[in-house]
Amino acid sequence: MKQRALNQCMKVSGDPYGYLKEWKGNNNKKIISCFAMNIPEEIIHAAGLLPVIAWRSNESVSIGHSHVASFNCGLTRSFIDDVLKEKLNFLDGVVINRMCLQAQGIPFILEQNTKWANIIYMSLPALYGSDCIRDFFKSELDRLIIAMEKCSGNKITTGKIVNSIEIYNHNRKLLSDIYEIRRKNIGIISAREMLSIVHSSMIMPKEENNKLLLEVIEELNLKVAEGNHKSGIPVVIYGSLCQTPHPELLDLIENTGMVVVDDDIFIGSRYFVNSLDISDDPIESMANRYLSHIPPCPTKGDYKSNWSTYISDIMNKNKAKAVITLMIRYCPPHMCAYPDDQINFEKKGIPEIMLEVEHEIISLEQVRTRLQSFVETIGGI
Amino acid sequence: MSEYKLNRLETTKLIGNIVDKHWASLRHAKENGEKVAWCSGPVFAFPYAMDMKCHFMAGYSAYAGGRGAAQQLLEIAEEDGELIDACSYHKLHMGMAAAMRKNIPVRKDVILPLPDLLISGRLCPEMSHYAEGLYRKMGVRVTGVDVPPPHQKSEIKYFEKYVERQIRESLIPALEEVCGKPFNYDRLTEILIVLKETAMLRNECWEYLKLKPSPWTLWDYGVSIAPVFYLMGSPEAVPYYKKLKAELADRAAKKIAALEPEKSRVYWDGWLPWAFLGKFSRIMCKLGMVPLVGRYPWEFFPHPETIDTEGDPVASFVKQVYSNGGQAKDNMPSLNLPVIQNWVEDYKIDGLIMFSSKSCRMWNLGHNDFIAAIERQNGIPGVVIEGDMVDTRMNSFAQIETRLEALAEMIEARKE
Ligand code: SF4
Ligand code: SF4
Repeated sequence: MKQRALNQCMKVSGDPYGYLKEWKGNNNKKIISCFAMNIPEEIIHAAGLLPVIAWRSNESVSIGHSHVASFNCGLTRSFIDDVLKEKLNFLDGVVINRMCLQAQGIPFILEQNTKWANIIYMSLPALYGSDCIRDFFKSELDRLIIAMEKCSGNKITTGKIVNSIEIYNHNRKLLSDIYEIRRKNIGIISAREMLSIVHSSMIMPKEENNKLLLEVIEELNLKVAEGNHKSGIPVVIYGSLCQTPHPELLDLIENTGMVVVDDDIFIGSRYFVNSLDISDDPIESMANRYLSHIPPCPTKGDYKSNWSTYISDIMNKNKAKAVITLMIRYCPPHMCAYPDDQINFEKKGIPEIMLEVEHEIISLEQVRTRLQSFVETIGGI
Repeated sequence: MSEYKLNRLETTKLIGNIVDKHWASLRHAKENGEKVAWCSGPVFAFPYAMDMKCHFMAGYSAYAGGRGAAQQLLEIAEEDGELIDACSYHKLHMGMAAAMRKNIPVRKDVILPLPDLLISGRLCPEMSHYAEGLYRKMGVRVTGVDVPPPHQKSEIKYFEKYVERQIRESLIPALEEVCGKPFNYDRLTEILIVLKETAMLRNECWEYLKLKPSPWTLWDYGVSIAPVFYLMGSPEAVPYYKKLKAELADRAAKKIAALEPEKSRVYWDGWLPWAFLGKFSRIMCKLGMVPLVGRYPWEFFPHPETIDTEGDPVASFVKQVYSNGGQAKDNMPSLNLPVIQNWVEDYKIDGLIMFSSKSCRMWNLGHNDFIAAIERQNGIPGVVIEGDMVDTRMNSFAQIETRLEALAEMIEARKE
């Protein structure tokens, strides 16, 4: 089967360092890392810069631990480790959003240990539902615009932001289309492959990624015609805020008799659900998206939303039989939200299992045993 | 027998009763027909101004930790599904809520009445999680105030306006609705007047920490924090600090040190280990080490002279959090480093202890960067010790002792 485009996604996702270094060499443009969720990338893009979402390396953290203690999430530790090992020297700066205490602690470490001129810290607000919150969100965007204009030397006009939104919306639409293909053709694409597709969109310029995703769709359509897809008990995975889950973990899920039909993870549907309205007030559109409660986000102080209801809606849409929680180890927002989700799943009779996602290599054998007995319990449902 | 002698203060023995009275009045509020709020972040002066009885998240946690009830509440929370690595303060609250819901017998003095209003003051993003959890479990009304810590000086005024506006547009209307009466601005002013007087006295007490040897320690100040924080405005606040100041003046005149002999003077970063103050004190005493200053205990209205008691009390309060008091910036190391570097000189500090709480990530990122920067400028050593402010299982005292011994040796070596 032809899968050039899919292989390209896997390559970018597998080695974002190599891809970005080469891209920068060829394009001579600045690259800005976004740490991590909810950064309004369109503004960075409108400045003529390349926003890329911060990723976790597949190397163990070493020198990073003398700056970030081991009881912090893997993304934070790994990002700082990469910076100190000078693996991210191709970056021209970083935009950090105050999602959690880890994100709050990063700017100081970067200031002490890098010469980056652009360390931008945003305090995107909690969803406390007042005009004041909306206005503050918009003023944070205004600050980002000023910072990005300074970083790029380019003026960011309303027209440029609208243009960026269109390009990003197209990307969102293509990713949704790929998810729809998976929904209609369960097992056509593995969870590992889907992860790399979304991850490629987080790394590549959206213009190039859009072309690549169109090719991926063509390849998938051909595969649909060929038939013969993986089968298994349909499950939904959710959680995994900011940090990439181990692809091996996803393989394990799908090798123990389950097949992932949809997800609500950051390097997954959380990244692209909700397109922005195209209007002559793009900042308002961004505010609408950020303040929309969809997908529910435990980093946003959103006490009203019920994440488990959102997940059970995704399950119903996909006729999934169980949910697998991917809990990033030491991710406080998710750790605090999870107990209620777990209770709600139980109340609704939804089988659920929680897997902890470490940065370091996990013992897959133990996970396999747990997954096998989980499959046995849901097998008859 | 230790070669060091710890001289305990008389005044600090009074604080237990004052604090107990506060929590007892909260426990009995409903019986007395009073409204109750639970609050995280620095905005509890507002329910106080409405004569509500109000809990304060960190204050309650310190109280439960100090009473030896923390471990039981943490375990109840975990039984109820909370995860072990989540913030201990969050879990203490979830444990208390679970004990109430499930009727699990725990010490009565750590069970509070369910609030009429949960105030989610989001200075730390996790300060909102406990309100989210309690809302989901108990359905209690929540009102939120986002209190972002500034990362740069330019953000201070801007955030100040944002917080002030939320208080006026969200918090005050919610309080008015819950209490069924207009907001009492005069009472807020009265609270500020008492707070100002108390914190001015406290600042005079701080001056004694600069003496060498010091007549009191950071631990003594730690147990004396409530009158400048969640006991703000209470009738006991000013008399307590007057008494404390007099005792310190007397000690200074008689040259009585808190620890005799005072071998080294240290800075303490991060939370005070509420449930383990005695243990830490014993370890440090053995080494002749006196803790004197730290950024968390200095959060509480360090510039009371700037509290405006004549003008608008809402603006005056918020200025204490931002432009005048600077409380919010204590959580952002970039603006804090120069402050600590000055303290090292002012308090004649010999070494740094960075207490890295395993369940609270507020202070622990960049601890070694702090040590490196301060060592470069001030030439003193530091160590990071890992533990938790209330969870016994996260503290290895043997390891902590070894680290502190190493610090003591480094300090000695530098002195030589
Ligand atoms: S994974 Fe969790 S803890 Fe880590 S940066 Fe994201 S929200 Fe924060
Ligand atoms: S994480 Fe730390 S600062 Fe935040 S609520 Fe918990 S104890 Fe408080």
